[in-house]
Amino acid sequence: MGLFSRASTTPRQRAEHAARAAAWEEALARQVLPPFVVDRLQAAAIGKQPWVATMTPAELLLAKSHGVKPIATVSGTCWFHYGWSWTEGHEEGWHHALNRIRREATACGANAIVDVRMRTLRHSFGPSMDFTLIGTAIRVEGLKPSPDPVVATVPALEFVRLLEMGIVPTGIAVGARYDWLGGGLGYNGWGSSNAWGGRQTQWQSSVFAGNQPLTELGTFWEGIRRQAHAALRANAATMGNGVLAHTHFGEILKQERDKQPPAYLGRHIVVGTVVDTPRGAGVPHGVEPVIDMRDGPSPLQRSGEVRHAVYDTDTSEQEGSI
Amino acid sequence: MSDAHGQAIPEHALQRLAGLRREGHPGGIFTSDFSVNEFLLVRKAGFEPVGLCVGSCIYHLGFQFAGWSANQEMDVLSTAMYEARALAMERMRLEAAQMGADGIVGVRLTVKRLEWDAKILEFVAIGTGVVHAKGHQGFKGPNEQPFTSALTGQDFWTLLAAGYRPLEMVMGSCVYHVARRGPLATLGSVGQNVELTNFSLALYEAREIAMERMQTEAAQAGAEGVVGADLHEGSHNWSPHVIEFFAIGTAVLPIEGHEADDIPDPKLVLSVNS
Repeated sequence: MGLFSRASTTPRQRAEHAARAAAWEEALARQVLPPFVVDRLQAAAIGKQPWVATMTPAELLLAKSHGVKPIATVSGTCWFHYGWSWTEGHEEGWHHALNRIRREATACGANAIVDVRMRTLRHSFGPSMDFTLIGTAIRVEGLKPSPDPVVATVPALEFVRLLEMGIVPTGIAVGARYDWLGGGLGYNGWGSSNAWGGRQTQWQSSVFAGNQPLTELGTFWEGIRRQAHAALRANAATMGNGVLAHTHFGEILKQERDKQPPAYLGRHIVVGTVVDTPRGAGVPHGVEPVIDMRDGPSPLQRSGEVRHAVYDTDTSEQEGSI
Repeated sequence: MSDAHGQAIPEHALQRLAGLRREGHPGGIFTSDFSVNEFLLVRKAGFEPVGLCVGSCIYHLGFQFAGWSANQEMDVLSTAMYEARALAMERMRLEAAQMGADGIVGVRLTVKRLEWDAKILEFVAIGTGVVHAKGHQGFKGPNEQPFTSALTGQDFWTLLAAGYRPLEMVMGSCVYHVARRGPLATLGSVGQNVELTNFSLALYEAREIAMERMQTEAAQAGAEGVVGADLHEGSHNWSPHVIEFFAIGTAVLPIEGHEADDIPDPKLVLSVNS
């Protein structure tokens, strides 16, 4: 196309395409990165190629004044099929994605990945979906490349602020748990050992029942949440000493059964950013109270966009998006 | 004349208020889609808006066959999606050059489906052409063309304060066909938790290609880096197995003589109403 100055895309040859697909397959199996990805990331690391950052200019500004340099946008993807268990599948899917994004960050000699977002494509095929993490690999001036870069779900702006205050965001922790109340398919969990097996719930919610708490279902659900949180704690303990949990997703599904009380499937997943910080560390900056005189919603109060839209059911692809 | 706080109202504003400048501006009026704050910050950055620049392109997408079980790039569609956007952007830039703008800020790039034909898409690029208030020529993009930037007026000011100037919006597109799984493979994974490697690597490859293309474009523009990079996944009326990965960002170059120490430390504020 001679119409504009941009170089148009050169279509790949079939053979080259097949070679790349094979390289990907081998890389995924051997848990490494294909050579062309390593080349691209390293070229960005030494300045032979432009760096690529998901940062906004405000973040770039603060990063620059604090000696933080963006290197490249890195990602980790795992398309996982959860035929056996939705909950365990989600947990495992995220863990795979985490390992892979770390691999890319290590390849470009990063100290950390900031602005890591959890994403998924809107369409899934059957009981499967892709677990994708995208973020910006960064290097801190004066530090050697880390063998195991930290993964921070916070944007670069907050990352620098947190570092100043002695808080290091170190990773993403996932806690997930599911259970059946009343048989189900005889899966694991203490639900099956529950003597009532959903019968109590059936009485308690029958037409003749008055006002009362559904004790059986309540205890069951509370147990799942607690265990998910316990799993989150155990997972986080390997990385730091605190979790800022930003994503909670839980649901109870009811399954009608023949000649038996209905069964319930409860599942809960908690995802959070792990931080490592000494207890009682001070905050060096003063905070200035301001009064915003705006009548409408204040930009100071705006909570911003949804950063981890994976478990938001109401996000939909709208016309007009690029 | 001054107000209660002793701040003078500029002479030209008084004249305008008094109706003395009814003859209008010799340089004509400007158009923009700036908000008030955006306008103020673009001014603070030392630029003046000249006019809205628009470029559009209605594009017919060609057909490409994809094997049922093949992971492959739909290069006909990739080229189409890229070329159509590039044309829209180029036309917008041409308009800006005709206005004598140094660059375009706040560019929005959108895709519209047309009701009556699924294979026709409309691509629109729109932004506000700006010119340096003191006629500084150092802000032009590659080849002395106006720069393009997806950043808002606020971000434009912040970028300059960080010691960078925008060069060009860079992008890369890759439309990819994700293989369907055969009935045997599907049957094999019933009741199991396994990774679908084929799908994983399709996403990887597609994203990698889009990323590579964007990075190449940035290198061609002579940029040091790309800011505000984002990856969009989209399906424009295609089958669910055909996905577009679109990488876009603003390529930037450092402003000479700007030091990291020039950047003021931001204040923490807490809004205390409510």
